Amino acid sequence: MFYRIPEINYIYVSKLDEALEVLHTLDNARVLAGGTDLVMDLKIGRIRPETIVDISRVDELKYIKDEGDYLRIGALTTLQDIVESSLVRAKAPVLVKAVNEMASWQVRNVATIGGNLCNASPAADSAPPLMVLEARLILASREGEREVPITQFFKGPGKTVMRPDELLKEIIIPYERGSGQHYIKLGRRDAFTLSIVSVAALVKVSNGKFSDVRIALNSVAPTPVRAYDAENALKGREVNLENIENASKLVLNSISPITDVRASAEYRKEMSVVLTRDALLAALKDLGINLGGE
Amino acid sequence: MSAAEDPYTLMEKWLKAKEFLVVGKGVRRADAIEKALGMARYVEDFYMPGHMLFVKQVLSTEPHARILGVDASKALEIPGVEGVFTAKDIPGENQVGYALPDQPLLADGKVRFVGDLVALVAARDFDTAIRAAEEVRIKYEPLPYVLDPLEAMKRTDVLVHEEVGSNIAFRTKVRKGNVEEGFAKSDVIVENEYRTHHQDHLYLETEGALALPELGDRLTVISAGQYPHLVRAIVSRVVGLPESHVKVIIPYMGGGFGGKDDEGPLVAAKAALVARLTGKPSFLLYTREESLIMHPKREATVIKYKSGASKDGKLQAIDVQIIHDTGAFTNRGPFILWRATVHASGPYKVPHAKVDGYCIYTNKVYQGSYRGFGNPSVQFAAEAQMDRLAEKLGMDPVDFRLKNLLRPGDTTITNQLLDHSVGVADAVAKLAETAGWREKRERYSKENGGRYRKGIGIGVAWHGISTSRGVPDWSNALVKIEKDGSVSVHTGIVEMGQGSPVSSHRQIAAEILGAPIDLVTVDFGTTDAPDTGATHASRGTSIGAIGVYVASAKLRERLNRLAAELLETSPDDIVIKDGKAYARSNPSKSISWKDLIKEAYARGVEMSATGYFFLPKGKFDDQKGQGYAYPAFSYVAMIAEVEVDTYTGKVRVLRIWPGLAAGKIINPTQVEGQVEGAAVQGMGYALMEQFVFDDKGRILNADMTDYVIPTALDAPEIMKPVYVEDIFKYGPFGAKGVGEMALIPAPAAIANAVSNALGIKVTKLPLTSENVYFLIKGKR
Repeated sequence: MFYRIPEINYIYVSKLDEALEVLHTLDNARVLAGGTDLVMDLKIGRIRPETIVDISRVDELKYIKDEGDYLRIGALTTLQDIVESSLVRAKAPVLVKAVNEMASWQVRNVATIGGNLCNASPAADSAPPLMVLEARLILASREGEREVPITQFFKGPGKTVMRPDELLKEIIIPYERGSGQHYIKLGRRDAFTLSIVSVAALVKVSNGKFSDVRIALNSVAPTPVRAYDAENALKGREVNLENIENASKLVLNSISPITDVRASAEYRKEMSVVLTRDALLAALKDLGINLGGE
Repeated sequence: MSAAEDPYTLMEKWLKAKEFLVVGKGVRRADAIEKALGMARYVEDFYMPGHMLFVKQVLSTEPHARILGVDASKALEIPGVEGVFTAKDIPGENQVGYALPDQPLLADGKVRFVGDLVALVAARDFDTAIRAAEEVRIKYEPLPYVLDPLEAMKRTDVLVHEEVGSNIAFRTKVRKGNVEEGFAKSDVIVENEYRTHHQDHLYLETEGALALPELGDRLTVISAGQYPHLVRAIVSRVVGLPESHVKVIIPYMGGGFGGKDDEGPLVAAKAALVARLTGKPSFLLYTREESLIMHPKREATVIKYKSGASKDGKLQAIDVQIIHDTGAFTNRGPFILWRATVHASGPYKVPHAKVDGYCIYTNKVYQGSYRGFGNPSVQFAAEAQMDRLAEKLGMDPVDFRLKNLLRPGDTTITNQLLDHSVGVADAVAKLAETAGWREKRERYSKENGGRYRKGIGIGVAWHGISTSRGVPDWSNALVKIEKDGSVSVHTGIVEMGQGSPVSSHRQIAAEILGAPIDLVTVDFGTTDAPDTGATHASRGTSIGAIGVYVASAKLRERLNRLAAELLETSPDDIVIKDGKAYARSNPSKSISWKDLIKEAYARGVEMSATGYFFLPKGKFDDQKGQGYAYPAFSYVAMIAEVEVDTYTGKVRVLRIWPGLAAGKIINPTQVEGQVEGAAVQGMGYALMEQFVFDDKGRILNADMTDYVIPTALDAPEIMKPVYVEDIFKYGPFGAKGVGEMALIPAPAAIANAVSNALGIKVTKLPLTSENVYFLIKGKR
């Protein structure tokens, strides 16, 4: 509760190579990207690293590139840059929708997409859309690079598969042609708030049947999660309201919400079902399929 | 005093004004540019790091415990630490209770809630102070504690204040007629229990004060507060200096809402204590977390309400029990409870009334002043009862209210006669028409299938002007016309965003003097002005501005006499406007404003005046529960239209129609600002704001991540207010006060609209998505 950042080593780097070199030599370091989570966590003592490695000016990690079948987004791209990108809007609209509802304009201009993912909050709003898009993360270290699917990235609150010497360099987002996408966030107010539950949905339809369905939720488990049971229950099935309503109930198999100051576990469970249904219906609407159901 | 300068005579004279130069117009406030440019200075802007001590507070981690010892040795070893101070270091009195002497500034012997102040640490800088505060060790002997007010009422084995012998800190009552008789005459009776919760002010600027020792045993305190003279009184009591040795300046403030009326003087006293003990300038600023943990909140209540009406739609009786969870200290709790008690009926004629109030100690953060002061909770209960009665009678809620609303000549539940300034029925009728009430109410009552359900609800409320019962209230100000014709107004009223001193006070002075408004400057929030009373109870532009009104009127009398002499006419024939004085009978006879003032100085006419005014009041008999409650009431009505998502429980307030019968509207732009701000603050309270306490009474969401207030995106469309200018004889030009009004009926209007949408009785706030969802499911 006291606003005091403890004395700490601070290293500023301006190049990716430099950052990787520094991380290689340090054991208890944290990376500062936008700092919107990190600085608060330092102040309230949630984290106690020995060293902060400030990569906020590593400009080579700030980009959005169109590669045709996929987008590449540098980890230090700010959330506001994503919101304002016509490329992302065209090729990964669910990400824009989610990021647009994050924080405030001021915070979005500082916070980065990489920071949001690496902070690994169960409530990370950029995670569910990237999970339904099956984004891949490029983790870099002095040893080289490796690619991790985002669905395997999170390990628990604040925990990821990254090694201490690794840095998230880039997010690769496949362009899901012909998909309907939607994101719904339920919070305690309409902006600038942590979600009670959020749901991202992506659907593909052919011949009146679901050819692909992807559903991801946040704030209802130790990490953002995919709801595979619900997805599988719809794949290959006819696109109708009844199937959607039945499948939505199966998200409960994939979540394990807790009660906290924001909401009870019971409410989160019920809302996971409702919002999944709503997100699926809205994703279908995105494809021009209107099943009603409000 | 010459008869010509008698305040009552002058007020009567100006109350008759029909045409206005600047009053009633949306004159731009004087601080608009400096605030827009970020140049306005607040308490923190006066802090000079490196030249002043930084003060940090050490708070209790126990809900109820004896303090066995405070070990500051480790803290004092840290270089740069100037001192660690506890109750025993206080040179004056360690007592800051406003209503009852139950509150030490620094915990003495025991702590009573998680957040109670135990020690103050002073160090040369911010970091050192915080580090030292972490090193202060307090040894506690934990005591059993009590958190629930209903439980606390019954228990005598766990006492928050042993010396009281009970956890019931204070009781109030109102009695009128005979309620048994009233219920016997009633054809319909409804009885419900209502619950409302704490609310934080969450002002943009947290609490702060800077105390500067001066030569000759004097102190200057720059502090956030709502009443500079009260800040001074508390500082003086704690540090043991005469009030005349303490000067208080309250600069621009980032919001008060009552919270800084309670906490402001305490913050100032803490900074002053350190300054006095160290001889060095000392600065204290609460973090947001400290502010949330420590400062008093809107009362949490349990209200049991029984009311009855006869078939003809007339209210017959109310029987109300109001329980306020006052937390660790009463603070202003007794006054808050008084207000709730005498307002319990709502603005209606009720022949038989019985109201009992209880202020209950618990080991939680204490209750305090908050916009509406005990009234939003009881009006929420009263107005829900009105809807239930209307429903049982098969009447439209507005029609039922119109049948019972107070009108001139009626008496209140304390048997006070309301002889004038009762415009509420007109306001409600106009508001219902403006909002399209009948059509919408009928439509939404029919359309109640489907996922999204719309509803419309009304809340009507009243709010007594000035302090409750016969508690003395006065106004004052010093107005000076300087030699160059510019006008200086000195007032204790503060500027906390509401704009009274920077807008309406200038308008009042300019209107009465006839001086160009650009020449009027207001020096506000200062003990250099005569005691003006507090900037609370919606009085900044009403009672609080009478001083400016009367002082200006005295000077105007002198100017008219002087101008009459110079222009060879009678004082009544003098017009002063557009920078000159002239004879109405012959406008070619004129003198410029500046020359007129020069003449005043040359001819020995005093160009300064104070505007002391003591508000005449009656008596309230506490034993009988009857008598005079307030000089007048401001009235407010609100219609809210909502949409509820029955799948998620989310309530969206679509539109709000506010209506005011608050006397003369001095500055409609400022009034709209107050109405909109209050309506959204009331909506936040009704829908989303709440504290979560753990099993030790600790607040779990003491930060802005999890104490959630509305943003612009949550705000509804707020329509232009409907005004009924029911002139009040003791207000400047008849103004009664506006600041709190639109918050008071907001929870009632919104809750009634949700009830209308869902066809379910709402008896508990807040209406969070989760609470509404389970209300629909029948689980809560």
